[in-house]
Amino acid sequence: MSVIEYKCPNCGSGMVFDSETEMLSCPSCGRKDNIENIPDPLKQQANAEDEAQEYHCTSCGAVILTDPETSATTCSFCGSAVVLGDRLSGKLTPAVVIPFAISKEEAVKAFKKWCRNGLLTPSGFMSADRIKGMTGIYVPFWLYELHNNVEVHGHATKVRIYTSGDYEYTETQHFEIYRKIRLNYLKVPIDASEKMNDELMDKLEPFPYEHLKEFKTPYLAGYIAEKYSYDDKALLPRAKDKIREFIDAYIASTVSGYTSVSYTDKQIDTNAKQADYALFPVWMVQYDFRKKDYTFAMNGQTGKVVGKPPLSKAKVAAWFAGVFGVSFICLKLISWMMGGGFL
Amino acid sequence: MNKRRATWSLLAMMLCLTVMLIGPLQTAKAAGDQPLIYDEAGLLSPEDKEELTIMAKEYGAKRDTDIIIYTSNNPEGQDVQIMTEDFYDEKAPGYDHPLGNAVILTLDFNHRDIYLAGFYKAKEYLDDQRLDKIRNKITPDLSDGEYRLAFEKYIKTVYKYMGYKPGVNPDNILFNIWFQLGGAAVIGIIVVAIMTSRSGGRVTVSGRTYEDKSTSGVLEHQDAYIRTTTTRRKIEKNTSSGSGGGGGTTSGGHSHSGSRGSF
Repeated sequence: MSVIEYKCPNCGSGMVFDSETEMLSCPSCGRKDNIENIPDPLKQQANAEDEAQEYHCTSCGAVILTDPETSATTCSFCGSAVVLGDRLSGKLTPAVVIPFAISKEEAVKAFKKWCRNGLLTPSGFMSADRIKGMTGIYVPFWLYELHNNVEVHGHATKVRIYTSGDYEYTETQHFEIYRKIRLNYLKVPIDASEKMNDELMDKLEPFPYEHLKEFKTPYLAGYIAEKYSYDDKALLPRAKDKIREFIDAYIASTVSGYTSVSYTDKQIDTNAKQADYALFPVWMVQYDFRKKDYTFAMNGQTGKVVGKPPLSKAKVAAWFAGVFGVSFICLKLISWMMGGGFL
Repeated sequence: MNKRRATWSLLAMMLCLTVMLIGPLQTAKAAGDQPLIYDEAGLLSPEDKEELTIMAKEYGAKRDTDIIIYTSNNPEGQDVQIMTEDFYDEKAPGYDHPLGNAVILTLDFNHRDIYLAGFYKAKEYLDDQRLDKIRNKITPDLSDGEYRLAFEKYIKTVYKYMGYKPGVNPDNILFNIWFQLGGAAVIGIIVVAIMTSRSGGRVTVSGRTYEDKSTSGVLEHQDAYIRTTTTRRKIEKNTSSGSGGGGGTTSGGHSHSGSRGSF
């Protein structure tokens, strides 16, 4: 009993998660159920990790074809939304989830709008009529709570230049600086799926944490969900790497008013207090342009689109020429106003 | 019928163009019938002299100024500044009227002295500092005996410097066309590079996004003053080769800017 399906109690159709109402809804009869009130079948079932790794659709009986990482999908024969329970239980139970707020139609619309705003994309791409696939995926993330104790020693200078008589004096004041900082970061997200491009996922942030919900399987109905490929310990170095620049920026913000600062000793002691398994909503857009495939990702809550679009050489050249021309005229005007003659 | 009319209008246009092109040349000729090169020391071949005259006329016309070169063996051993002033009073050069706008380069081969003087418009636009700059530019070539090259530089630099408002530094890098082109190209490249790098979306989170403000903060903070070091540097005074000199007034009562030196 590892395949979970939500059958409508009224008409028996498969129910899916509706991003607008945030309810489990039946596309046939329109019944809507509040997810908070549905008993989660995951909690009732025993840990069934050693069961056979073949799943059968409870609607049509066909074998469900999935990647080993997939925990929710649709049956490729009858189209029912199915959730693979044993890939979401035990260690694999997500703690929290941010449900989709953008429906497929809205996502297509938002993507088309984004394409139109591309200043350097070819005009053929801007019409955005070659969308090959639009997939709503719950991407696994680890949310780290990282406590940092930072101790910095450094050397700073203040330089004053003044003239007196025939001499120019450069007066340099030297300071020894020390900072002890406590810096705690909450819910730093690191994507845990092997399939997802890390760079793309980093750019999708921020995910609105006010929409974080306690995980319930009905949220996944109708979408694809992945389980994590790396556990929290394996990804801790990436998390530390990510906050390193935050820490550096924070340190720099506490040392101000100097001409130059150099750090002689920087000690950062990072302590991972907690790591929560979370699923975040992402629309993956497969796009085909001039026989090349492009992949874009859209934040399923905010609609932010990331991914390298094709660049039009002509537009790049035109922009360069325009900016070049305008700045050249500006420089000319400046020189003319300073008395430099126009030609 | 139409074709013929087109041919006529084309011919008329060409005629207009020819008149427009030739017109100014003729007036320029009429204005500048006085010689501009007085090569009493005999440094230049007739061809050189002719070409330099054409050049001086062309550039001088654009600045309403006679650009004059005067070389002399100076057997009387006069001072180079007095020579220049007397030359102006005597020859009465000037772009549109006698004793008018003129810049004079005088070479005295007796003392190997050089003097530059600017009169009226040239006095205003070529002050002592600018004349010093011109003199410093051409002195090495004169010392090497590259007279023709030095004179060409002199004519071009006078033309160039007179294009800038009085009082500003004509060698300001902002006035340099290559700097302007290069600067514009750099700005263009930077803007396009930023646009391409942003086309794929960019990171919009910072440390603030995930920082727990209630528990984070600076616990200890120390800025200890250690010492002060001071270095001093002598301010370079404008030392031009030879002596400065500056301007003066001719015995005919014409005041001028000036720069003198030796080569």
